[in-house]
Amino acid sequence: MTRLSKVEVDRKWWEIGDFFRRNSLWLLMYCTGCCAIELPPAMTSAYDMERLGMGPMATPRQADILLVSGYLSLKTLRRLIYSYEQMSEPKYVVALGSCPINGGIYHDSHAVINQLDQYIPVDVYVAGCMPNTESVMNGFVDLMEQIRNKTAVGWKKYHERFEWYKANQINSLGEIDVHDEFHE
Amino acid sequence: MIINILIGLGVALFGFVLQTSVAGINRKVIARLQKREGPKWYQEFIDIFKLLSKRSVSHGWIFDFGVIMAVGGIIATAAFMPLTSTFSAFGTYDNFFIFVYLLAVGMLGMAMSASGSGNPWASIGVMRALTTMLAYEVPFMIVVLTIVKLAGSSSLTAIQLYQQAAGNHWFLIALPLGGIVGFLALMGMLGKKPFETYIAPGEIASGPMVEYGGKQLGMLFIMHEITVFIEVSLFVHLFLGGGATLIEFLLKYFVVYTFANLISNVNGRFKIDQVVKFFYKWPLILAVVQAIIAIYFGWVI
Amino acid sequence: MASIELLILILVGASVIAYFLTKLNTTVGSIFTIFATMFVFASLAYFGFSNHLDSVVHLLPGVTFTQTYLGFYFAIIIVFVYLMVSFFHPYYLNEYKYKNSYNLFFLLSLAGILGAFYTDNFIQLFFFFELIIWTTTFLIPQGKSREAAVSYYGFSVAGSVAMLLGIFIIYQSTGTFGITAGLAALSGTPAIFVFVLFLVAAFAKLGAFPLHIWLPIAHGNAPHPFSPVLSGALVKIGAFIGVLALIRISPASVLIEAIDLPLGQYVVAILGSMSIVFGTLMAIKEDDAKKLLAYSSMSHGGYILVAFSLMNSVAFAGGFYHILAHALASAGAFMAIAAVARQTGTTKMSELGGIIHKMPITYLAYLVAIISMAGIPPMGGFISKWLIFQAVIDKGMILVGVAVFFGSIGSFLYVFRPLAALFLGQELSEYKVKVKEAPLLMLIPTVIIMLLNVYTGVFPGAILGFTNNVIAELGYVPIDVAAFDITVFNSVLNPALISLMFAVGVGVAFVIFIVLKKSRKVGLMDTYTAANFVHDEHLFHYTKDFYAPLERLYEKQSNWMTSFYQSLAHKVKEIGRLAKTFFMSHYVEVALIWIISIIFFLLWGEIL
Repeated sequence: MTRLSKVEVDRKWWEIGDFFRRNSLWLLMYCTGCCAIELPPAMTSAYDMERLGMGPMATPRQADILLVSGYLSLKTLRRLIYSYEQMSEPKYVVALGSCPINGGIYHDSHAVINQLDQYIPVDVYVAGCMPNTESVMNGFVDLMEQIRNKTAVGWKKYHERFEWYKANQINSLGEIDVHDEFHE
Repeated sequence: MIINILIGLGVALFGFVLQTSVAGINRKVIARLQKREGPKWYQEFIDIFKLLSKRSVSHGWIFDFGVIMAVGGIIATAAFMPLTSTFSAFGTYDNFFIFVYLLAVGMLGMAMSASGSGNPWASIGVMRALTTMLAYEVPFMIVVLTIVKLAGSSSLTAIQLYQQAAGNHWFLIALPLGGIVGFLALMGMLGKKPFETYIAPGEIASGPMVEYGGKQLGMLFIMHEITVFIEVSLFVHLFLGGGATLIEFLLKYFVVYTFANLISNVNGRFKIDQVVKFFYKWPLILAVVQAIIAIYFGWVI
Repeated sequence: MASIELLILILVGASVIAYFLTKLNTTVGSIFTIFATMFVFASLAYFGFSNHLDSVVHLLPGVTFTQTYLGFYFAIIIVFVYLMVSFFHPYYLNEYKYKNSYNLFFLLSLAGILGAFYTDNFIQLFFFFELIIWTTTFLIPQGKSREAAVSYYGFSVAGSVAMLLGIFIIYQSTGTFGITAGLAALSGTPAIFVFVLFLVAAFAKLGAFPLHIWLPIAHGNAPHPFSPVLSGALVKIGAFIGVLALIRISPASVLIEAIDLPLGQYVVAILGSMSIVFGTLMAIKEDDAKKLLAYSSMSHGGYILVAFSLMNSVAFAGGFYHILAHALASAGAFMAIAAVARQTGTTKMSELGGIIHKMPITYLAYLVAIISMAGIPPMGGFISKWLIFQAVIDKGMILVGVAVFFGSIGSFLYVFRPLAALFLGQELSEYKVKVKEAPLLMLIPTVIIMLLNVYTGVFPGAILGFTNNVIAELGYVPIDVAAFDITVFNSVLNPALISLMFAVGVGVAFVIFIVLKKSRKVGLMDTYTAANFVHDEHLFHYTKDFYAPLERLYEKQSNWMTSFYQSLAHKVKEIGRLAKTFFMSHYVEVALIWIISIIFFLLWGEIL
């Protein structure tokens, strides 16, 4: 993944683009951990996500939001970073639960990371173990407010501080692209 | 000639706006059926414009060229579509076979671009789309054979005028078996459940659309909306007598699309060989029987 | 050169010269072949369009020529394909075992073609026909596959022997060997026999059901520069004989009133439809690109048969236009495959991938060729298929309609597979270094045929005007062709307008595309894999068993015809063995009994 300069990134961004982006957010359902169980109620009749314009999509290239729901083991983190880099810009990260904030109930495990913010930029945290469905919906509405106020700039931060993020990732994981999958 | 081309592009734009609004209203209808509030009626527009404003990836020149060819082919097809029996951009040149085959150009462009993305899910999705097309086209064409033979011309405007003439019923009533087959083929064409095999989000990661994001996906959505407009309009003109006025056409269009959507929302999804076996059993038999009784025995209601 | 007879003699002489030149140096011999073919094509095109060729015979004894629009139409198409293919000779001949005689047989078969389409005598037609079969039989194997040559020869000779029997029946009933005189005087029961026999010859040469077994074997194993000719041009000789049988002989038989068609023609239409359906289904299954295109030729041969058996001028126009469009499309597709095969050494789709990155022009030529083959506007195949559809609908034939529509949609499936498997997809590591674009001399005919494919689709008026002459010569009313419109049965088609709108649409889409944000370029290996790390391109390329769910539905029935012919050959061998035990046994007494009984039966008629 290459770096982009600030000017290149800001070019052709319109005000009205933010209106479209905040009213039609598509989730990549990356159900990493237990908090994913709160998503089906959010999608179905009781707390209908679709009236906010949100909906699930199948692949990272099509999605806007990377939903990190729960703890992240080292194996999953590698793949999460790969998926995050495959997404189209602008992209947002919403972290559910306490585990991405400070490790949650797995804070002293050797196989789980404690702070997601060191590895990829996070826009909205929804605290709780696990958070209520209404809290999850509040988190999404918060993200929409941040987009309106132009403060949801996690993806720009990733470009600007790319070396810092990469250093943290290599520090914890060793290597990101794993070879020798499927006995190539 | 230039005026006609501009009117044709206007028809394509009108079709896009019409279908996107109708699709948005349908999302609300389905949501109310499922006892929830749905999105706004202009939600589809917001989706498409959001996609057009994102910055995505490209896998090479064929990836982009295929998308351009697909959208170009669809705009060209929509330009020929008559809206009512008196208004169309190109008069008598709106032959039925042009629509069926120019739609194939659109699909070929999308297939080329999807295969050029280097992902096997895309090739599997294209394979399923082509197989589904093989399944629903043959019964549909047999019914259209009957219609063209009875109406005496394969121009859509002439078929509409034949149905609107005094003493003739709409072909949905005059050829009832053919109407059923036509509606099933329409559901196959639209890619609605149970024939949604080629998108299949859970099975094959949305099929051909797997590597698209940003403007390519937005343009493909535009292509899909205009394709749905062409197909539903074809059904309205062939089976429901088209429309003498624009309001009549819009009403029939909305009823047909909503009806197809409602049926699709209570069905699961077929496997691809079930799709082929389904269309080559009863719809083909019904279409052939209808053709025999309409052409050789003349029993038209 | 305005004299037909001199053209043929020049070709025979040139073939001998080409043999000796190729023995010296392959490239020189091939270039000489190119010039010889160009000379023949130029003289044919210059003089032949208004039948200005000189048909007087000075040197050859007993040979008569006559010029007809029908013969000229076939001849010019076939000679053009020969010319385009001759450009490939310098690059391919060095690998073949019998390269010296390659150019010899190439030019001799061209002489046979000129003679076959311009002759006025049935025996000479048979002679030129046999000349074509013999020369092409020796061109096909090139030391690789004897079975290909044997099956091609077997079926073709079966057809020509049937034709010879038909010719003798014509002689017996009308007393003349002349084509125009003989066909005019033929009537009654002999007409029905001749009809059936000529149709056997037509089916054998076209490769239509049920005489289609030789097509995939012969076309699949033929040398790469010869396949375009075999598949695009030589099968049209069968169409010529079919036209003779169906239209000019057309015996009086039972008329099926519901569709206003005689029974004989209806049977041919049904066999043509089965040819379309089986060709399509077998092509969907194939893994080898050349065999797939051979089955596609079988399917299109079925279209031509259906067109000529419908007995109305719209169908004839569609059939003639289809002959041109299919010859060009098939030649274009085979040329592209030949270029790929030269660089990579294989035509099997499961071993190739991602060729488009190195050979974009070949890709475009193949794309245009398959758009025409599938019958999609704005290429030529759409117009001929449209005319055939309108004719079938007007007759109200339902079963034939099912087959015709099935073949048209099914052709999307099988032409798309080589595109996705060969050209698109991941670039495989074994081809990354050695594949380059085809050399210029090979690209020239590929691009010419690509442009012609587009031309036949956008401006069909001139060509349809010429085929109207052919239709008028056959005795039917020409179809209504205006400057840009074609009007048949109250339906109007304007191909130029469709192409214009397509260009406008692509322009609008391009403008939309450019105005939006530029995309980030990524390689083909950076693709959605549900975040698994896969580094081998072969795992990403979906080519094997591409249409597996569809193929599973008819897998068990797909070798019925081959086993039928094998068991037929087995039964013939059994009959031979039976005769051997009777007539050639070890015991002297049996031979003595046979001799005495034969003499007895011979004398019975005389003495008793």
